[in-house]
Amino acid sequence: MEFRLQRFLLSALLTLGIAGSQVCFGQSADEKPSNLKDVDTEYFDIGLFYGSMNVEDFTSASVIGINATFNAGENYFLQMNYLQSDVDLSSFEESQGQIFSGSDRTLQHYDVVLGYNLFQGEHFIYEGKALLSSLYVVGGIGDTEFGGESNFTYVAGVGYQVAFTRDIIGRIDYRDYIFKTNAIGDDEFTHNTQFSVGLSYLF
Amino acid sequence: MKLARLLFSIVICFTSFHYAHGEAKSSGVKLEVIDPFIEIHTGPGVGYPVFYTVEQGEMVEVLTRRTGWYELKIANQQTGWAKASQIARTLLPTGEPVDLPTISYGDYLTNKFRTGFRAGQFSGDDLNNIDFFSLSAGYQVLSWLGIEAEAGKLYDTNIRGDFYGANIVFEPFSRYRLSPILLLGGGNIEFDSQPELTPIDFGEESYYNIGLGANYYLGRNFVLQAGYSSYVINSENEEELERWNLGFNAFF
Repeated sequence: MEFRLQRFLLSALLTLGIAGSQVCFGQSADEKPSNLKDVDTEYFDIGLFYGSMNVEDFTSASVIGINATFNAGENYFLQMNYLQSDVDLSSFEESQGQIFSGSDRTLQHYDVVLGYNLFQGEHFIYEGKALLSSLYVVGGIGDTEFGGESNFTYVAGVGYQVAFTRDIIGRIDYRDYIFKTNAIGDDEFTHNTQFSVGLSYLF
Repeated sequence: MKLARLLFSIVICFTSFHYAHGEAKSSGVKLEVIDPFIEIHTGPGVGYPVFYTVEQGEMVEVLTRRTGWYELKIANQQTGWAKASQIARTLLPTGEPVDLPTISYGDYLTNKFRTGFRAGQFSGDDLNNIDFFSLSAGYQVLSWLGIEAEAGKLYDTNIRGDFYGANIVFEPFSRYRLSPILLLGGGNIEFDSQPELTPIDFGEESYYNIGLGANYYLGRNFVLQAGYSSYVINSENEEELERWNLGFNAFF
């Protein structure tokens, strides 16, 4: 009985071993990619950002968001952003009463922006260590939902990025979200500026 | 004892498998330089300084790729970046060139995915200059044929709406930097809120559209697109809308 079990175990291990060595062999055979299509690419990065937004006619509120960037070349990139923020009472509302409440007070925004790397350079933190960096400008369009409204939004901004390591990028952004709103009364364009810091992973 | 040896060999095998796997990522293709020289930059951009030149006949190893640039390991074990257009003219150990240097934009993009956005205005009989923006995602089937899905939002003072649809994009002259496109598609359009005094004839309807436009290749995989489309709404009086748009597409 014991012998049979041993034989079973051994044959099982042998099969595994053969299969394993085949995997080994197969892997080492195509270890070296034969053309450049097999080379690892680094086109995309995804990230998180956190900051503060001044919501016009209301108050400044903390903002949290996510973004995905496609680095379309050395000069251009395409970035999608989603952010949200819970807007507190403005000083007007504190004395005169809340204008709207509940989920309407959560500002939600998403956009697509085109970025242009204006100044690419290196950031020298100490001798012999240079980090790739870039000052960029962005412009784009999106949607902002706030106060029960959904508004077409223009986005313009400037930012700076530093690659801390090969695949971790730090970003500082200043952006202006411009949209027409009736939240307070008149149909007027509001400028909602945001400052944020973020970290992204490049892959 | 045999068992132990077998186990040991399996362990060795799997560790070497992992090792090989880990290495494959960092060690790429080895190439022979056939240009008189290749300039090695400190970063993936023309603005980064050149710190080394690899001469004709030397071997370089490709590590990673970013759009338009390759990261190379050069003879003295340093790493740097070289322009993809220069790398395209190097030779593989088999003597074949790495890449054909002059292939058309369309051929280059075949079998690639695309994503992008458009912005512009819709107008029609009852509707005037309604802003819209849309996101699209698609696939380039052939050098002259692409398919895409598009979803967008409409905005006007008193109007909010959505639309989604699919387009077939024909681009017969994709070898040119600036090339014309023909768009055929269909979808669904819906108005959530309408002006109270002069409501639009329909709330939610299907549509079909035909459009003409042009692509301008800002880079190998980055395209500026402008176009004009005519939309026919399948409502009772077959209302027609026209749309102007500008957009960007990225291929990957």
